[in-house]
Amino acid sequence: MTTTVEGRTAPPRKAPSKRPRWLKLPSFALAIPAWAWLFAFFVAPVALVVWFSFGYKPGIFGTHANDVLSFDRYAEALSPTFFTTFQNTLWVGVVGTLICLAISIPFAYWLAFKAPVARRGILLAMVMIPFWTNFLVRTIGWQIILAPSGILSDALQSIGMLNEPLEILYTRTAVLIGVVYNYLPLMILPMFVAFDRVSLPMREASKDLGAGRWSTFMNVTLPLAKPGIIVGILLVYIPLMGDYITATVLGGAKGNMAGQMVANQFQTAQNWALGSAMAVVLVLTILTTVGIAALVTWLAAWPLRANQKLVLGDKS
Amino acid sequence: MTESSQNTAPAGSAAVGSSAQTTNASEPEGSVVLEGVTKKFGGAVAVDNISLHVRPGEFLSLLGPSGCGKTTTLRMLAGFEEPTSGSIRISGQDVVGIPPHKRNVNTVFQAYALFPHMSVAENVAYGLRQKGTPKSEIRERVTESLDLVQMRSFADRKPTQLSGGQQQRIALARALINRPAVLLLDEPLGALDRQLREEMQIELKLLQSRLGITFIFVTHDQGEALSMSDRIAIMRKGRIEQLDDADSIYDSPASAYVAGFIGQQNFIPGTMTSSLTVMESPFGIIHAAEPHDDVDPGMAAQAAVRPEAVSVALASASASSAPTAENQIPGTVIGVSHQGETLQFLVSIGEDQTLLSRVPRPNAPRLAIGDSVLCTWDTASVHVFPSEQATQAQADIARAVSNPAPPTSSISL
Repeated sequence: MTTTVEGRTAPPRKAPSKRPRWLKLPSFALAIPAWAWLFAFFVAPVALVVWFSFGYKPGIFGTHANDVLSFDRYAEALSPTFFTTFQNTLWVGVVGTLICLAISIPFAYWLAFKAPVARRGILLAMVMIPFWTNFLVRTIGWQIILAPSGILSDALQSIGMLNEPLEILYTRTAVLIGVVYNYLPLMILPMFVAFDRVSLPMREASKDLGAGRWSTFMNVTLPLAKPGIIVGILLVYIPLMGDYITATVLGGAKGNMAGQMVANQFQTAQNWALGSAMAVVLVLTILTTVGIAALVTWLAAWPLRANQKLVLGDKS
Repeated sequence: MTESSQNTAPAGSAAVGSSAQTTNASEPEGSVVLEGVTKKFGGAVAVDNISLHVRPGEFLSLLGPSGCGKTTTLRMLAGFEEPTSGSIRISGQDVVGIPPHKRNVNTVFQAYALFPHMSVAENVAYGLRQKGTPKSEIRERVTESLDLVQMRSFADRKPTQLSGGQQQRIALARALINRPAVLLLDEPLGALDRQLREEMQIELKLLQSRLGITFIFVTHDQGEALSMSDRIAIMRKGRIEQLDDADSIYDSPASAYVAGFIGQQNFIPGTMTSSLTVMESPFGIIHAAEPHDDVDPGMAAQAAVRPEAVSVALASASASSAPTAENQIPGTVIGVSHQGETLQFLVSIGEDQTLLSRVPRPNAPRLAIGDSVLCTWDTASVHVFPSEQATQAQADIARAVSNPAPPTSSISL
């Protein structure tokens, strides 16, 4: 063992550059295009929205004014009329994400570990292909299925599960079905990749050391796939909370979502100040709920971590 | 939670296992018995009706080129594959149908398969934790186990912070902590560089004799197998060609394949005479010590002789002085290479037929290319094989050499 205990060697000395000093760019220059893009199309618009949200609608033809700043638009955005919509959005967002999670974990697990390797390509294509269709078109497709005189209603009535036409279209349930359908591939794909990267020898090592299937899943597969699962959840939850196409097509008056409200304020009511305040509330809601979810999961996994943790103590 | 997970194993497998709980007194703890084991993947036969008795406390190597079925055999012992037919008993207990986590064997994996999200100590503790061992005892035994592989001071590191050799030791400590009756090692040294590999060979052997655990070691490296094993099973196309200790395998190969696969071998074609130990070749008469069961008088045969058994001397010098040996063939030196402690001569003894000779350097004659020489060797060092078998074996070995086992340097973490 001639290698050092640390296993690290000193960093190689920088070779002297032949270019004159004034020609050399600092290393962060590489990131300038990306930063410029982010600033112009993310930081600046968001800052503008936040700025507008403190203003007001000056008159019938003005969209916003910021000569008087106040939190009044936030009070307005959280007034009972709009607050129910936020509640509704949160319900659809959380329940929709949980349903996606309940479907994706077993499916991605099956696809990564149990499905015949030769068929994987076809199975993945089946997940992806609906995604290539226009978002609006595939959402309208659900209108046809869910309509009171639609396929589902007829089918349920003919087998006797329903006595009257199905009254599900233009409700929150219809929106939920729509968003689960629309966002499911976004969760399945990162989870499949995450599970697929948990190598077979790793799982076999766990079984070899005496862990059953469930224990292997909890102790090895799940912790190693965690980053992919988190990505999947965020990839579904965040756009789902802001979605307004699904809610517009399938939700009607009962299935209103915050995204629609914001769009209405900007486009129909021409009240940019209120629309901005609503948008900020939505962003804060998403951030808060993600934070709470992370905290709850972290606390729930406490016993598992405590059980695993092992410090040998005195070293000699 | 870990307790309950052990109890929720598939009910079917428990039923299969319970039918053969009886422990055979003639097969003590640590013995492994395979009887007529066959494993097919679809139509392909990976392991073809092999029978093998491993003694308790033995260091047994399964040696062969990639695709010979050695890893499949090991995986059947670990429980990752079920045999298509045949029976497998570990410590006298039938294990067919018993899942890996219920077998008293542990495996050191080819790329170590250490859990990257756990520290070294947590990796080693994994097996004990699955059994629900109290934490104080876990701490004690992990310390003991890390001491065994001299890795105690690395306990709090993550596996990714360790070198290949260090990871190897942790994998060993992790597999040994459950005190298995049998330890299975799947090319564990394949990913290490040569010097480290040789150090680990010695350490592994020491560890094995200290612990007295049965080691079943899979490798495609004959040097590894020869240096560590009590016995070696040479595998080819899903069958065991020969099972014996290193000396016997090297000195009395059971088949032309074993003869050619282990070490180097000169094959000389010829025709067997009626005496069965004397072969006529276009290059001269060759005498063997023993006849081969499958070689009859008049049959085409091949004689195998190892390069280190062949000595060479200048033709003029030997003709005058030395008494004529039984086996001697004249030739011309066409190549000389320096191998460190030996000199290697390539001698042309006829059309398309060369003979390799390896001589320890101090005694080696100083020969140059073009010299006329006489190659001589002992009768005892000659083995004859049927020509067909020898040709097939040489073709198989050549294929194994040109398609070596896939590189194992990639360590997935």
